[in-house]
Amino acid sequence: MQFMLMINEDESAYAGPGGAALMEATLAGHMKLAEDLVAAGIPFSGERLKPAATATTVRSDNGTVTLHDGPFAETHEELGGFYIIDVPGLDEALEWARRIPVPRGGVEVRPVWPMGPQG
Amino acid sequence: MAARPRVVAALAAALRDLDAAEDAFSESEARCLALPEPPRDVPAWLFVAARRRALDGIRKAAAAGRHAEAFAQVTDMADIIALPEPIPDERLRLLFICCHPALAAEVRAALALKVICGLPTDRIAQLFLVSEPAMLQRITRAKAKVREAGIAFGLPARGAWPERLGAVLLALELAFTAAYADAAGELAADVGEDLGAEVERLALLVAELLHDEPEAAGLAALVLLARARAGARLDAEGAMVPLSQQDTARWDFARIARARALMEAAARAGRSGPCQVMAAIQLAHTRRAFDGVVDWSAVLRLFDVLLALRPSAMVALGRALALAQVEGPQEGLAAIEALPAGRLALTRPYHVARADLLAKAGRTAEAAAALDAALALGPPRAERLWLEQRRHMTGAG
Repeated sequence: MQFMLMINEDESAYAGPGGAALMEATLAGHMKLAEDLVAAGIPFSGERLKPAATATTVRSDNGTVTLHDGPFAETHEELGGFYIIDVPGLDEALEWARRIPVPRGGVEVRPVWPMGPQG
Repeated sequence: MAARPRVVAALAAALRDLDAAEDAFSESEARCLALPEPPRDVPAWLFVAARRRALDGIRKAAAAGRHAEAFAQVTDMADIIALPEPIPDERLRLLFICCHPALAAEVRAALALKVICGLPTDRIAQLFLVSEPAMLQRITRAKAKVREAGIAFGLPARGAWPERLGAVLLALELAFTAAYADAAGELAADVGEDLGAEVERLALLVAELLHDEPEAAGLAALVLLARARAGARLDAEGAMVPLSQQDTARWDFARIARARALMEAAARAGRSGPCQVMAAIQLAHTRRAFDGVVDWSAVLRLFDVLLALRPSAMVALGRALALAQVEGPQEGLAAIEALPAGRLALTRPYHVARADLLAKAGRTAEAAAALDAALALGPPRAERLWLEQRRHMTGAG
């Protein structure tokens, strides 16, 4: 079954002295993770997102649509990227989520709604 | 019905749905009880009848165009015709599902009590001191998460074992605490008794199924030792009797012996842990029944170990009381004063411990004030009666 692993991290971890080195190490961790996923034969996809400051949110309220300059929710941790992996169950998904490099933040694991007759 | 855990577990594994397993079991249980003569093998009969019924339901739904996916998962239609068949023992799997770390810690014990023990929701709600609708919602949400989130119905991989076992033991410990926190006070007597019995059954089941995990044995021993003293916990007026003053003739020595055997077997594994240490502390107290004394320096050493394994204000409080027995009330009081009061001052054990040591140190007025502080926190009936007796004896103010 498919799971989305949503990486919510504190962007400020990459600011200031040492921030660039931390970013480099984190990216190297993602490269390694992708290699491990390939080696394990697990179908996956994923993307890295630009910082939350670049986000625009389209809000709908009973037909009224407004634009909001910023991410959907203003929190310390922002969605910074995601993976979609296809594994047998939650335990395996959690195991891969643990291996995602996140200096400060967390990874939300959600099953993808399966497409099918009931889609 | 004693067959329940095995049958529900087997059904859940076969149907991969906790609700369907529970419903199918209730239905086949009712039909079994209505039979003119009980079947030769009750668990097997229940399992086969319930599973057939549930699969019929799935097939009908599939024919109606719904749940086509569920139907596709049922590949073994042919083998359910054979009767009787042995029930695969899936209790351990079911326990690991109910206590999956992806479920909130406080809901795991409730789910295990509901699904494995079949305790009604209103009783579980009473145990965890929440309203019945709130508990029903928690359990419903947890079951939905099990169904939708991809929680596997298989046993966890060996590498994940420590974390998963920890979640199981924590759930049991929570249920145990809920059963024994109130000294037969607020809970209706039958609920307390039921829960104590159910938690004991579950703890012994875990110890049996995970016989090479010493902490599982330690927890079962802990539950047995608490149950062994159930008959001595209240006096004729319904007031709580503290451990040190209980009539040891009213203890259940068969349970104490069983706990001791479990702990000796656990000790041979050579891996200690908090459950084993807590059980060892309880076992040290039972020595009073055999030679009239408690070896307080041994209890103090055990508290030192427990404090290192699982540091908490409550453990530190227990250690201070043991220290007072070894070195005197002044030392015990000093140890309590050294603790960060804050939230601890909002708990009854803190004030009760201070009252005890202050009284022993001859500081009667302060002891009375500490008892008043404990009473002001609204203890359950049995504890309130006991505190009032002590307050009366201090005589002050």
